[in-house]
Amino acid sequence: MGNKQTTFTDEQLEAYQDCTFFTRKEILRLHSRYRELAPHLVPLDYTNNPDIRVPLTLIVTMPELKVCQGPSEGRHCWRLDCRLTVCLCWQENPFRDRIVETFSEDGQGNLTFNDFVDMFSALCETSPRELKTIYAFKIYDYNRDNFICKEDLEKTLNKLTKGELTPEEVALVCDKAIEEADLDADNKLSFADFENMISKAPDFLSNFHVRI
Amino acid sequence: MASELHSQHTGNSYPSDQQSLRLRQDSSPVSNQNYPQFNWSSSPAEDEVDNSGPPRDLRSIPLPMSLKRAVWQVQQMQVPVVSKVESWKWKKTKSLHKLKDRTRGFLYFITLWGKTLQKIGGNFGGGVQSYFLFLRFLVVLNFLSFLLLAGFVLIPSIVFRSVGTSLQNSTGPEECMNYNPNPEGLVVFYHYFLDFLSGTGFMEYSYLFYGFYNNTIVEDRSFSYNIPLAYLFTAVFYFAFCLICIIARMGTAARVAVATGGSAVGNYSKIVFIGWDYGCLGDQATKLKQKNLHYRLQVDLEEERLRKQAAALTLGAKILLYSLRVFMFFVALGLIFAAFYGIFEATNFSQSRTGEEGILGLIFEYLPSIVITAGNFVVPMLCDQIALVERYSPSTTVILALLRAVFLRLVSLGVLLFTLWRQITCEGDTNSQDCKQCQYNNKLYPCWETRVGQEMYRLTLFDLLITIAVLILVEFPRRMVVDNSSNMLTQWVGRQEFVVPSNILGLVYGQTVVWTGALFCPLLPFINTIKFVILFYCKKITLFYNCRPALKTFRSTTSTFFFLVVLLFGWGLALVVMIYSLAEIRPSMGCGPFRFFPSMWSIVPTSFYRLSQVTQEFLFFIGSQAFSIPLFTLSCVVMCYFIALASVYGNSVALLRSQIKLEGRDKQFLVKQIEKLKQLEMPKQ
Repeated sequence: MGNKQTTFTDEQLEAYQDCTFFTRKEILRLHSRYRELAPHLVPLDYTNNPDIRVPLTLIVTMPELKVCQGPSEGRHCWRLDCRLTVCLCWQENPFRDRIVETFSEDGQGNLTFNDFVDMFSALCETSPRELKTIYAFKIYDYNRDNFICKEDLEKTLNKLTKGELTPEEVALVCDKAIEEADLDADNKLSFADFENMISKAPDFLSNFHVRI
Repeated sequence: MASELHSQHTGNSYPSDQQSLRLRQDSSPVSNQNYPQFNWSSSPAEDEVDNSGPPRDLRSIPLPMSLKRAVWQVQQMQVPVVSKVESWKWKKTKSLHKLKDRTRGFLYFITLWGKTLQKIGGNFGGGVQSYFLFLRFLVVLNFLSFLLLAGFVLIPSIVFRSVGTSLQNSTGPEECMNYNPNPEGLVVFYHYFLDFLSGTGFMEYSYLFYGFYNNTIVEDRSFSYNIPLAYLFTAVFYFAFCLICIIARMGTAARVAVATGGSAVGNYSKIVFIGWDYGCLGDQATKLKQKNLHYRLQVDLEEERLRKQAAALTLGAKILLYSLRVFMFFVALGLIFAAFYGIFEATNFSQSRTGEEGILGLIFEYLPSIVITAGNFVVPMLCDQIALVERYSPSTTVILALLRAVFLRLVSLGVLLFTLWRQITCEGDTNSQDCKQCQYNNKLYPCWETRVGQEMYRLTLFDLLITIAVLILVEFPRRMVVDNSSNMLTQWVGRQEFVVPSNILGLVYGQTVVWTGALFCPLLPFINTIKFVILFYCKKITLFYNCRPALKTFRSTTSTFFFLVVLLFGWGLALVVMIYSLAEIRPSMGCGPFRFFPSMWSIVPTSFYRLSQVTQEFLFFIGSQAFSIPLFTLSCVVMCYFIALASVYGNSVALLRSQIKLEGRDKQFLVKQIEKLKQLEMPKQ
């Protein structure tokens, strides 16, 4: 990006590059986005790995940047950093809290920079199916018991349809969904059941990614 | 650092609870095994064995970033222990990975319309995006075909024509060789525009159409080029090339469809877990996605209800319903055949009134295109109304509507070609009065290939003009009316939806026309490339300004396969036309590169006997039984091998699935045993 201030040491950048699916430039760009969320909290210099967490309330205010509108405003589209324009609207996304909680170390939704980068790396296009399946399972498992039970499903369904289905319909859909995916007949979905179901769905990879 | 890691090593390979909450606190001992773990107990030595592994594996491990970085540091420290050769190998693989990432970034950068497609996908979903992906595929296919045709046919023709090599002369009946396409006398200015639209006049005798190419055969000392042979082979190779591209693309789509084992997993779990698109852009898109999911669930629930209802019908009601369906089937068929008859009459009329001047002449020439387009618009609408009476389940209705529309489009093109054939060959009867002399109707068609090419050219152009006209005259005004008036009627009509299936069929139809006409109008792929590029931008504009995202979505992965199958049908139709023109109809004697041959294909045997003796014998050998039977046997063996492999994989998948079930039951049994034992122990203590 051309700024010569050392945000990270070379070793740190190497580590990030090997541990995520991002390149050097993209990591620096992510850091500047992270900093924008709380400029008074996040230092520019990360060389000594400060332990800073940006709280959930600030993360969910991530403004939706305008996507480059296309060839008419073509000048802006041809910079490599445009790829990183984060096009995820946090205001209305029903899973925003769950995603942030899942990737936070303390489980409350406060993200360190490590978690921030990790989140976008897991959700990016090149991240493999197995990794995404693991995180999807974590996101849908509300009570964190390593099973997706009927209550988890009901919460998911209500978030998906914004409460427009009647309770009977919700119960019916949940029953049918568990019936379809549950292989070991314990009335809840273990990770193996979930993974088996996901592997049959070709749309999973394209839906479960943040278009950056 | 290393000591810290080893201190966390516990008995059951699960990090202690003091770790971050990301590594789930387990509520029951059983659920540990439920979850993929990172094996802390793997010794450092094992990590060095596959040195290409570490950079990749670290990214795919579901650990928090701080732990990953710790592991990375450990690995970095271990590297100097490894021998020089292995560390060199590891560095090479790392730089290879970096190179791959960089090329991927670069390719993303230069992919045609990559950013636009992403934006469309984010705002309107995968179904609409699949239409634009299909359109991009066709643009690239047409452009490559144009390069093929230009390289082997167009450029040699230009070169040899300017060089002025002599033509092969032969004699034939005087009337058959009479072909004079150049306009006579003074041409009024606006005639140029009309000629451009209809492909006559100054455009007829140009590189655009078959009639302009000569049967030049150049034979120099070291170089020989046979234009008629090149023309034929390029056309055949063009078809083969398109087939290969389509099948390659189908292969990727089919692999996904087969891997997911069809729709063995039901709809509900898929909608709940996979329905949400995390890349949704914007408030509106998100709300719309929710409405969409709600709609899909309702559709499925509705289908359940209908199924229950259908099962509960009395015998009398069932008979009534089925007879109604049969009747409606015949009504739909009748509508379609009425459209065909209209096309037939329009083509006859148009061909009988060629030579008219001015705008009226233009309209007469465009009459078949107008009737085809009108039929393609009206008949599906009527069929939709019929579908309401038939009362099939929603998914069956969609499939049926698509099949009817495909049948209508492709067969109407076939009817047009059939009508032309009737007139050119006097209904196949070469002894009738008009066709006796030249074996084709030389009075009406001194150069029939050019006439067919012109018809295809007009269809292509008309398609584009209609799309632009509908865009300007219908879609923009509709949006302005809906946005600015708060009338009940306009709100009910609402903004336009981008309907993917009918747009796809339009593309397939356009491409089939191009394939049919490519033999007679070599520049048609080029015109089609330009047309599809214009179409891309027009559709993009109308999508973003005039359309609201559809409530009823189109599933994108299986539908790609379906689009390609339909495209293959169109290709098949064009192939039939080409084979027939090559083999059966006598080429015109007044024009074109095949003018003195009894059929277009006969140039191949003629040129064959000019080859050297060795080559002839070699080619005879390849065609003989001694070669082809072993080849056939070999390909049968290879096919059997693949079929056996596929069935073995299928069996192992079924076995593994049942194994999962059994393991789950084992788990439950063991848990029950553990609890029983615990209960037995407790009272003792």
